[in-house]
Amino acid sequence: MENIDKKQGREKRGKAQRRDWYQLDLSAIVYPTLQRRDFSSVYRLSVLLKEEVQPDVLQKALDMTLPRFPTYKAAIRKGLFWRYLEPNDRPGPFVQEDVKNPCQPMYFKANNRYLVRVYYFRNRIALEAHHSLGDGTGGMCVLMTLTATYLRLLGHEEIKNGGFVLDIGEAPDEEELEDAYMRYANAKVCPPRLEEKAYRVRGTAEPFYTLNIIDGIMSVSEVTTAAKRYGATITEYLNAVLLYALMVKQEEERQSRQRPVKIAMPVNLRRFFPSVTLRNFITMIYPGIDPRLGEYTFEEIVQQVHNYMRYYINEKLLRGDITTNAATQRNPFIRVVPLFIKDFVVRLFYTKVQDRNSSAGLTNMGALKVPDGMASYIERFDIYMGQPFSRRTNCAIISFGDVLTVNFASSIIEADVERHFFRKLVKDGIHVKLESNRD
Amino acid sequence: MSYCVNCGVELDASAQECPLCNTPIWNPRDLEKRSVRDRKEISQQSPFPKEKSQVEAANKKDFGLLMSMVVLATAATCGILNGLVFRETLWSLAVIGACGVLWVILIPVMIYTKQPIYVSLLYDGAVVVIYLYMLTFQTGSREWFLRLGLPITVLVTAVAELVTLCIRKLPRSFLTVSLYLFTGIGLLCLGLEMLIDWYLAGEIALSWSAVVLTVCVILDIALITMLSRRRLRNEVRRRLHF
Repeated sequence: MENIDKKQGREKRGKAQRRDWYQLDLSAIVYPTLQRRDFSSVYRLSVLLKEEVQPDVLQKALDMTLPRFPTYKAAIRKGLFWRYLEPNDRPGPFVQEDVKNPCQPMYFKANNRYLVRVYYFRNRIALEAHHSLGDGTGGMCVLMTLTATYLRLLGHEEIKNGGFVLDIGEAPDEEELEDAYMRYANAKVCPPRLEEKAYRVRGTAEPFYTLNIIDGIMSVSEVTTAAKRYGATITEYLNAVLLYALMVKQEEERQSRQRPVKIAMPVNLRRFFPSVTLRNFITMIYPGIDPRLGEYTFEEIVQQVHNYMRYYINEKLLRGDITTNAATQRNPFIRVVPLFIKDFVVRLFYTKVQDRNSSAGLTNMGALKVPDGMASYIERFDIYMGQPFSRRTNCAIISFGDVLTVNFASSIIEADVERHFFRKLVKDGIHVKLESNRD
Repeated sequence: MSYCVNCGVELDASAQECPLCNTPIWNPRDLEKRSVRDRKEISQQSPFPKEKSQVEAANKKDFGLLMSMVVLATAATCGILNGLVFRETLWSLAVIGACGVLWVILIPVMIYTKQPIYVSLLYDGAVVVIYLYMLTFQTGSREWFLRLGLPITVLVTAVAELVTLCIRKLPRSFLTVSLYLFTGIGLLCLGLEMLIDWYLAGEIALSWSAVVLTVCVILDIALITMLSRRRLRNEVRRRLHF
């Protein structure tokens, strides 16, 4: 009786009931339309432990963890007007040995319709998830909870819940599964977006089934010191270094016509709008410089990025941005258009406009915190933005303790951007260690 | 612990060259040892797996098999029906041929997706020729096939191959693709009328195709001018961009 009361009490506080289907969130609508034979919006998060991973225990941990995340234990399906997520009770997903070329396309009907993959390799556990399920924060919750469960199964019972580690014995909160965009897209005006075409890296495409990775591992304190020297934060500084690398690359190409150099950078909206959603809740900003206006020194680039971020990253402008995004989805005329036409239009818009707005992608997950008792088992984290949609390179940053990792993932042969990037860091006095899967 | 001499970054113990600038890692002190001993270690120490994976292909093949079986069954049952029940004419050849054409057209979509498009087009042309030949058993006369059906199919296939070749190998943009298409259409109409005239009257007297060709030539000249003048080209791109 007491149990039942407790259960009911929980439900009153907003525990999620099992649902037959979930609407895709506002960002998630876009990702499946970009699906190609050789491209899916898949990102990868991995954790490097201090001990070798035991696959059978990991599988057990995965089986215990995933039901806690109903929107990750899901399959994507097509309706007449929109796609949607459906709970997936098929066997799996199964852990598999890691591969050299991660973030391979994820076909919706393959892999028992699961949109997550879990890999192990020596000390590493890696999670790959389709972006339509959720963003990096949501994925990190799954990975951390999985890792905590795995470590607990190995006898490390002292690991507590909290932060990214959720209680697997508890039912998910209703709020974890919500489309938080719709709650906050309530500005009274939709600010227009004027973005100009940006410089695009010209490179030789690698054959299908290749993803070139270069990981740079460095010390957080060294990067902070370098950033402080320019009066910037770590994100601003690394953003400026990437802009600088792209600017140098554009200069080297000696094109008759230069273009602005811009970076597409996702901003985690949870920082500004309280939400515990595990689905997508990000928006893009485009810090950049325009070399047509004159030559930039590195200090000027840092200044430019610093000012841009200060101006754009605030609750008001972000609210306006998501309202603009939501306006199309709310429009009744757009809603009744059949899915295949929407797909066509969205893909066209993305290829012709959105993708050309930036020269590279950069995301910063920031400093990760793990609950008490867990830190001693973890070496570092890695994060990859996955296969770029067009020929370019994507950069993702994450830090844990004093280890900061910059992970580049690209589908082109040339590593010029990466070279300029890391050489600049070395010049600024940062010790960089590289690991790469390139041959 | 090695550092790249050009980039100044520390490299992983397993690395044989700098991933940024491809400079080989080379320690003069243990050059001899390196070639034998270290290389063995290298394969064990790399932080990345060596195996590449290929994703499970989408299940088009099952659907391809289903389609093939349905097409085969249709052809076979019609053949049997023709042989045993309705035996007046060889009507089943039309159905069997159509099934064959459908199957060959579906090969690149369902069965073997890696087939080069040129080969697919060639197969399509060939299967249409065979189908038309099968129809001659129905019509009694082969003259229309030899003088009209066969040449037209060859012409259409050749033009399709040519346009595809241009689109794939030459610079591709909205304007150039229009140029290739209009040229293709002009040539196709010209060839069609010549073949039809030759079959019907035994001599070639151009009429409607000349009009089409003229229009195509005008459009082609306009397109070539736009392509050769940067300002015009940009103007068109600006106005017609999508």
